Amino acid sequence: MRTILQAENLTKVYRVGSMDVPALRGVSLDVEEGEYLAIMGPSGCGKSTMLHLLGGLLTPTTGSIRIDDEDLTAATDAKRTDIRRRKIGFVFQRFNLFPTLTAEGNLKLAESIHGGRDGKKGGDPERRREVLRLLQLEDKMHHKPLELSGGEQQRVALARAVVNRPALILADEPTGNLDTENSAIVLNMFQEMNYRFNQTIIMITHNPEAAAMCRRIIQMRDGQIVAPSPRVQI
Amino acid sequence: MESLVTANVRQRPVRALVSAAGVALGVCLVMLFTGLARGLSNDLERRSQNLKAEIVFTRDAGSTQLMSTSANLPVKYAEELLKVEGVTMAVPDIRYVSQGGKGFGFEQVEGVDWDAFAAMNGMSLVSGRAPQAVDEVVIDEAKAHNNHLSVGSELQLFGNQSYKVTGIYTPEAGPRVKMSLAAMQDALEAPGKCTWIYVKLKEPERAVEMAHKIDAALPLNKIQLTRDIITNIEKSIPYLGVFLRTLVGLSALVSGLVVMLAMYTTITERTREIGVLKALGASRGFIVGEIVKEAVLISVIGVVAGFAISFVAGYVIQSAYALPFEYSWLWGLTAALIGLLGGALGALYPAVRAANLDAVSALAYE
Repeated sequence: MRTILQAENLTKVYRVGSMDVPALRGVSLDVEEGEYLAIMGPSGCGKSTMLHLLGGLLTPTTGSIRIDDEDLTAATDAKRTDIRRRKIGFVFQRFNLFPTLTAEGNLKLAESIHGGRDGKKGGDPERRREVLRLLQLEDKMHHKPLELSGGEQQRVALARAVVNRPALILADEPTGNLDTENSAIVLNMFQEMNYRFNQTIIMITHNPEAAAMCRRIIQMRDGQIVAPSPRVQI
Repeated sequence: MESLVTANVRQRPVRALVSAAGVALGVCLVMLFTGLARGLSNDLERRSQNLKAEIVFTRDAGSTQLMSTSANLPVKYAEELLKVEGVTMAVPDIRYVSQGGKGFGFEQVEGVDWDAFAAMNGMSLVSGRAPQAVDEVVIDEAKAHNNHLSVGSELQLFGNQSYKVTGIYTPEAGPRVKMSLAAMQDALEAPGKCTWIYVKLKEPERAVEMAHKIDAALPLNKIQLTRDIITNIEKSIPYLGVFLRTLVGLSALVSGLVVMLAMYTTITERTREIGVLKALGASRGFIVGEIVKEAVLISVIGVVAGFAISFVAGYVIQSAYALPFEYSWLWGLTAALIGLLGGALGALYPAVRAANLDAVSALAYE
């Protein structure tokens, strides 16, 4: 298996007033292509900081990150944005869809951002339809987020994350705002994406049931990985 | 499918309309002021061009501007001018400027011997007769039409003095209201005086030579060629050009500030959305572009509304106050550019600020 993400000895220190507050204390992590990984741990243990570092939204204080053979830490801000655009899809706890756009509009916006430099501004309608079909959103294409249930909104957010075929999906507690039924639907969708498209997914979760669906679970505490589990081949 | 830009504008219609109104205000200011200046200028120029005298003779200290109320030149100079070889006619004239009848703009009245003046300028009465008594005037067709006047109507001049319209003439030349020279001298208590004397030459092409000749014959007076005096109003009113350019600058500032304020508020409200755009991999250029495009869309609405309001307001003012509005393509283009550039530049600061937002902080924004 090819290694799609390689993080070495990551540290992140926040400066709060005159105090240095360490959020990550030397985290190393390898993620293979097609892996479905859960990161668990108590609040404040550094999970979100790690996800933001892996997504290039933050820069580490020390350490390095390579995504799909591209060095994220050595890149300029513009280059990091470019890598994020081409290689990473985000799914957030609060869905973060654009409320003024329809479900399809949200996907097209992601395609438009992705296609900016390649000149494919109209996106790929076939791919869009395929993703919406897979996530059972075909009849919701023209609905705006406020007209959708929480589960549907999160499925649209997942569709937006995968529509450009990113190498890696980073999900920050994607079921945190959902009830049990919708959580199950969304988690099944994640699993489907992982199985069917060999999509690499890293998911932060507090939900043991969600973590149980992943092939590997990593426990974090006080800015460190404390209990890496072995990879499970499903 | 709706783009993010149009969707955002549609989602906040009141704010978009208020911002567009700010841009429209700037466009209106430019269009109405320049339209009025141009209208007045062209109107004055048209009327001045119908004056056929080649030379205007006046006192050195007196005003030879088109707007004048001084009457300090003895009328007897007309006789002296007629003695100069090559002068065919010399017509004394008093020009009086007063506030417009409706308290808006200004109005000129001319005191002149009608028969001589009409003969010099090829004018004729289309109805009625020439003014004779001190309370009689003739008006041109435009004045009659704009003010709904006809022969026999009454007209208030010099404050609240009532004058009777005895005739309507054509073509328009000089002030639209004319009374006899004697009546004007009586009204201004300036018997035997005039503001200037129009001089008609036998050979108009020798005007410069004749001006020197008259100067030599009647020294210590001021001799000007009519064509030099009849300039457009932008030149005859000092600093009008500066005023118009200042107005244009202020209009751009108003447009820019209104759009900047609106976009700044919008950006603050949409902080999290900007964080999401960054998470999706949107470049700074993309984010700036989306915000500027939104501002430009609002500005386009404002510019269109501004033109529409200007044309309607111009028509209403013209109908109510007989003030001529003439819009020019150049000023229209300037107004449009001011609206669009003002809006785009106004959006630039909030846009750059948005593009520089920290993605993680933006995503955590409540």
